[in-house]
Amino acid sequence: MTRLFKQDWFGLLAVVVVACAVITVLKPAFLSSYNLQILLASIAINAMIVFSQAIIIAIGQMNLSIGAIGGLAAISFAGAMEVWGLPVPLAAALGLAIGLGAGLLNGWLVAVSGISAFIITLATLYIFNGITLGITEAQPFYGIAESVKTFGDAILIGPIPMIAMPTVLVIAAMIWMLTRMRIGRHILAVGGNAHAAELGGVSAQRTVIWAHAISGVLAALAGMIVVARLQIGQPTIGNDWLITSFAAPVIGGALLQGGHLSVIGTLLGVVIIAIITQGLVLFGVDPFAMQIALGGLILWAVAIDRTRSWRAERNRVKIA
Amino acid sequence: MSQNEAFGIADIQHEPDNATRSWRRLLLTNEFGLILLIVAFTAIFAILAPAFLSRFSLFAMGRTMAIDIVIGLSMMVVIVTGGLNLSVGATAVCAVMFAGWLIEAMGLPLPVAILGALAMGAGLGWINGMVIVKSGIHSFIITLATMSIFFGVMIFLTRAEAFRALPPEVAAFGKAKIGGYLSPLLLVTVVVALALAYLYRYTALGRRMLAAGASPAAAELSGIRVNRTFVACHVLSGLLATVAGLMLTARTGAAIPSMAGHLGQDWLLPAFLAPVLGGTLLSGGRVAVAGTFLGGALVTVLSAGLLLMQVGEFWVKAVLGLLLLLAVFADKGRRVWLAKRKMA
Repeated sequence: MTRLFKQDWFGLLAVVVVACAVITVLKPAFLSSYNLQILLASIAINAMIVFSQAIIIAIGQMNLSIGAIGGLAAISFAGAMEVWGLPVPLAAALGLAIGLGAGLLNGWLVAVSGISAFIITLATLYIFNGITLGITEAQPFYGIAESVKTFGDAILIGPIPMIAMPTVLVIAAMIWMLTRMRIGRHILAVGGNAHAAELGGVSAQRTVIWAHAISGVLAALAGMIVVARLQIGQPTIGNDWLITSFAAPVIGGALLQGGHLSVIGTLLGVVIIAIITQGLVLFGVDPFAMQIALGGLILWAVAIDRTRSWRAERNRVKIA
Repeated sequence: MSQNEAFGIADIQHEPDNATRSWRRLLLTNEFGLILLIVAFTAIFAILAPAFLSRFSLFAMGRTMAIDIVIGLSMMVVIVTGGLNLSVGATAVCAVMFAGWLIEAMGLPLPVAILGALAMGAGLGWINGMVIVKSGIHSFIITLATMSIFFGVMIFLTRAEAFRALPPEVAAFGKAKIGGYLSPLLLVTVVVALALAYLYRYTALGRRMLAAGASPAAAELSGIRVNRTFVACHVLSGLLATVAGLMLTARTGAAIPSMAGHLGQDWLLPAFLAPVLGGTLLSGGRVAVAGTFLGGALVTVLSAGLLLMQVGEFWVKAVLGLLLLLAVFADKGRRVWLAKRKMA
């Protein structure tokens, strides 16, 4: 039990529990199965988006192009079904391959050039997004296979939607990779100190490429799940991912310093954002206020982190 | 545009060299490369599509160019600190909507509204700067948050409604032509660029900004109040973003909440393209006012030419992304080459 209290994410868990309790008391509809289902679906999609960013934050970089990759994969997936009449597995494989390719391109450009990932992914953001809009001419694809639509609407058990399944698998895979696999340890090592990692025999270039490839695949997965959920291939998919993708890890405690990735903390960041969004909807607050709340949450997380490190500093002084 | 070439040369004069070597250095500068590219692309487009050099096309290009360059400068002044400002678009929209409100709801005259907008832009920049300096967190996170907050508050207060009943002088300024094809907006841009060049070359504040950006620790030791200087950079960024917003308002004739896209994100590409093409170091400490000016001009020439040649609007976006990529790689290659020659 004391181990639980000591976890970084314990405070976040407390925030989640208290927020749920307060909203439930004021609006009992919060715990209706319909409402929980919407909440879980939004958490499932946002978690996928956020982890595609978190893996890059862990390596000490940022990826501005995740939304553009997700959008490109989404319209390729939808377009392959409508225009070429490809069966769902092939279309999904195409979407994933595009995500992987886009991620590999990002990683390769960053690793080879040594130019900051911010600028590289800003450039590829516009390249991928331009391709998406150029192909679709900003029109959506409507010819989504029935099985995909059913998947987007289906319920697994109770209030848990089917689309939560891929996310749960991804979270398990992330935890496994970061704790048990060599590539996971390499990513954290390079994120912590690339030079030291190189001296320890880790190829920083290869690790950076791997991290971006994983990021691209996760973004593509998120894009295709959004297609299943919306039931159309919108070219605007991914346009609004950027702020959430940074807000959740920041709330979860990663202040873009790299070398550290708390999967549970990041997930709780996603949950907090989803609960607050849902709460604002239930209370009938203007949807525009969500932008303000999201920005406020980031600043709040920053403030918490500052006070925490300030206290740690003070304690250290006392001990000395 | 001879003034700009002039400070292109001025930029490299501070390295004492004999005449021939400084000539060779001039040919190697970013600015010279950009002029070459602008001339080359202008020639190509003029041959492929003669309408490119028509009076109307030149006027339209001048207006776009004027605004894109100021957007680029508003980012350049914070890149100096080694940081960035994602909220330039949101700041500009907030300030412009504030001006629209002052005119339509408060009935204030135009000059007062413009001053009000500039004060708002500077104030929002000050908030960015203070939060960044006090928290010590990277400006990326802080301005990502403030971009969301500024834009959210603006949409919340305006109900996403535009202010369209502005005084006729606003639209008239945007439509005015000097000598038949030159937009007065370009003059505003040239004045802004000259003022910035003066700031960085001749004033103590500008020098402090460069020194603090190059090495905050060293600057602090030599008596520069780094935090205060960084806040000044962010105030300047808010001011310049507002100037760009006001220019865009003159062009469209109305203050529109969506004029910089959702959260002002549409401004990010021009904001980073111009300074990066112009050779501003992202790590801070170095500015290239003339380079940013020419970088913005190149982007406009390229996108206007492609649009004229019936390349779809969406593909132009992809080409500009590619251009940014090529620019950073070319810059990297140039630096590696220069380093090798110095070694040899």
